Amino acid sequence: MSENPLTESTLLHTPLFDRHVALGGKIVPFAGYAMPVQYPTGALKEYHATRNDGCAGLFDISHMGQVRVQGADALRFLQFVTTNDVARLIDGQVQYSALLNRAGTFIDDITTYRIHADHYYLCINAANRAKDVAHLTEQAADFDIFITDESDGTTLLALQGEAAERLLQALTPTDLTAIDYYHFVQCPLSNANTTAIISRTGYTGEDGFELYLANGAATTVWDALLEAGASPIGLAARDLLRAEMGYALYGHEISDAVTPVEAKLMWITNMNKGNFIGRSAVVTRKSSGREKALIALKLTARGIPRQHYPVLVDGQLSGEITSGLYSPLTKGGVALAYVAPNHANDGAITVEIRGKQVAAERTTTPFVRSRVKKPQQ
Amino acid sequence: MSIPQNLRYTKEHEWARIEDSVATSGLSDHAQEALGDVVFVELPEVGAQVKAGAPFAVVESVKAVSDIYAPVSGEVLAVNEALEEHPELVNSDCYGQGWIARIRIEGDTVELLDPVAYATFLEE
Repeated sequence: MSENPLTESTLLHTPLFDRHVALGGKIVPFAGYAMPVQYPTGALKEYHATRNDGCAGLFDISHMGQVRVQGADALRFLQFVTTNDVARLIDGQVQYSALLNRAGTFIDDITTYRIHADHYYLCINAANRAKDVAHLTEQAADFDIFITDESDGTTLLALQGEAAERLLQALTPTDLTAIDYYHFVQCPLSNANTTAIISRTGYTGEDGFELYLANGAATTVWDALLEAGASPIGLAARDLLRAEMGYALYGHEISDAVTPVEAKLMWITNMNKGNFIGRSAVVTRKSSGREKALIALKLTARGIPRQHYPVLVDGQLSGEITSGLYSPLTKGGVALAYVAPNHANDGAITVEIRGKQVAAERTTTPFVRSRVKKPQQ
Repeated sequence: MSIPQNLRYTKEHEWARIEDSVATSGLSDHAQEALGDVVFVELPEVGAQVKAGAPFAVVESVKAVSDIYAPVSGEVLAVNEALEEHPELVNSDCYGQGWIARIRIEGDTVELLDPVAYATFLEE
């Protein structure tokens, strides 16, 4: 076997870095940070420690960025720079959204938290942070708002799994059962003498929460949740859990090479709310037709599809895998892929793995059941 | 880290047990630990000719795809088909039920380290 040596010289540390090392985490570079890819139990056990009943996984995702937007024009500004309809949010609600450039392609995908009508909180991808903040700052010139990049002072934890609510409830007097999916509260955490934003959100398809804390409270809350029975989860299991739900990831399904039309993200792109950056390009793309189609597929023979593997339809090269994995629940290879638009629904699919054609068929996402707590419609 | 005394090792972290001109091969404990959870093994065909030092099988962990290099040149006599259903044997029993292939030695081998030399190599 061959190994790639890793360098850690210039990597940033989250406030929990020493905890990851003490737990025996295997540290790798990720988006400029030194992060645990897995702990000694291994990625598959971590995966099951998030999916199984009675379990909850604890993730340090402090590498992600947070930006506060405040001021009289905050709503008007966010309507202009994000794709989703921010006017639909009420206080304490979260929205999945995106930042587009003028070409209509993605700068980033984000979540928007409405704290008050003139006060919002954005969670952004670590790898895009500098680009996002520069873009937001540039666009802010004509608006009565101020923008604060709070990323360096903020710890972000995710607690995901069937037991998440029970474990977290021991740390706060706030009734967590009252927080609906994609809603949040700002509440005290009793053991850390701090206030946190706690949202019922996540990236695993399980019920659970994301906690935004001041860095000073990070180790106290981390230790308390592990003590309560949560399992630490590294990046490898996080990506399995993410991809098995078919959730998009920047750099895979989403990038500055595709618009929401290709990425199947028109559901977070509101064309009726008024003008926003990238809107006219999206209108054009909608009328001219998508350049490629994002599809979900599963292998019908043995093998694991991986990012960038060629996808063939009726023997002709049609596109490539964007995210692929061995799905522990379906016990097979599943993937998202971009293919030519005329192959979205028709034609026999194969994935080329090390020069061989492996049969696949179209399917739908999520690849496995979702257990997020969506309110009754 | 387990390094059984009766085996020889390559610098690519395969092991070989040589008996009567047949080499049984698999991944060392160091290799399986570095890989993490193995979820797929692509085995060579029985009867295939493999070349010492050239890739002859593939193991995939959750995150990574890694070639396995043949420790010797020769014909593949047998492969461990149990790995198709249970690739995790590479992790749980790398020197036993996690073996990968048996090769009839015909010609050269790569440099094979004895357990002491392999342990020293790992420390370096």
